[in-house]
Amino acid sequence: MSLMAVLAQAGSPAPMAASTLAHYLLVSALLLVIGLIGFVTRRNLIIMFLCTELMFQAAGLAAVAFGRYHLNLTGQTLVIFILTVAAAEAAMALALVVLLFRRKESLNAEEWQDLKG
Amino acid sequence: MGELIHPFIVYGFCVLGGAAVCLALPRGGRSPQVLGALAGALIAGLALLALAIKFAPVLPNVYFYIFSLIGVGAALRVITHPRPVYAALYFILTVISTGGLFVLLSAEFMAFALIIVYAGAILITYLFVIMLATQAPQEDQTEVLASYDTRAREPVAASVIGFLLLAVLTTLFFRGVDRLPAPGASDDQALLAEMPRKVETSLRVAGLLREGETVREIDTALGVVRVASGESLREIPRAEWPEGLSVSNVEALGFNLLREHPGAIEIAGVILLMAMLGAVVLSRKQVEMDEEAKRRQAQKLGQTTGGISDVTGPIGGES
Repeated sequence: MSLMAVLAQAGSPAPMAASTLAHYLLVSALLLVIGLIGFVTRRNLIIMFLCTELMFQAAGLAAVAFGRYHLNLTGQTLVIFILTVAAAEAAMALALVVLLFRRKESLNAEEWQDLKG
Repeated sequence: MGELIHPFIVYGFCVLGGAAVCLALPRGGRSPQVLGALAGALIAGLALLALAIKFAPVLPNVYFYIFSLIGVGAALRVITHPRPVYAALYFILTVISTGGLFVLLSAEFMAFALIIVYAGAILITYLFVIMLATQAPQEDQTEVLASYDTRAREPVAASVIGFLLLAVLTTLFFRGVDRLPAPGASDDQALLAEMPRKVETSLRVAGLLREGETVREIDTALGVVRVASGESLREIPRAEWPEGLSVSNVEALGFNLLREHPGAIEIAGVILLMAMLGAVVLSRKQVEMDEEAKRRQAQKLGQTTGGISDVTGPIGGES
């Protein structure tokens, strides 16, 4: 059986029975934690925003898994709005990054340490 | 129901995972990055295996493990790779494997929307900005990477805090977990009553509709379609319906989106408009000039370009 055929049938009960909600929540939590660690440790502004996108992924995965668990579509609808907000955030954040780069010719977040009070 | 796995095993995995991420973070020069990445992959594999063994009698869904391993591994590379372009490419890998997990959760539309919007649009914007905002290396520079990319800030403290959070999260949701129910048919199929044209087309293609008959009523509770030609009514029971006649994920999602959340769509539109305006305002470079400066600038331009001395209005704009 080809891969796509198997994937298309994945919604049917038999292969689904092996995974629980916790499996998906574990992957989601891992993505969230990795994104969080990346946001704290990396000093490149662009990578920091990339890490927030990782956390968005984690939130979307959890939303869809919960929606699947409760057998309704609200989780997937939420992911549509997560995508919207992520796109808006990317546009704004990248505009800011370009602006900051023009000022100091560097993407180092620590260049802007003097902004903290 | 019941505990999926003993909590202390989970904490053990959290500690090991934290140590592996800590090792894998870049530190400049020679760092045990590869070792850390390998250890991280090993631990993630062991953790997933521990989850799988619990359900040994049932055949585990292999694709879940494949997609989640690829996704988490690529996410780890996103935060550890010193080159921003590679980090963005690894993020695309994460997005694709998340899309795979969405397919497993029978959210087909969201899977492809995620890949198209994230990998296709947002990540390309990121790549553009990464390439725009990179310093050209100097002649005498041997190291191409910027120092802030090769050295992580506080890797130990960040890993400890991050995996403490993971331990708390896993403790919370490993208690009393339930298996995912089989995809429900009854709820979604009620939507068929709202799509008479789809039903009619489907029946006509299957040859169940005779000449001159139209669908009069769809009763999903009883599972019959009442068709009529002129005065005579006829019922087609569910058993005779063609195979493909069911509500797909996209249709159900569309109904859910437009019926349950119309206000949220408006707000999303406003957010997108604001983001667009904000990006335009932020990235515009406005040069403020008084009258005197304008005249001087105009004279200078006239000298250099030869002839165009009549420059009015604000100088500057987008650059």
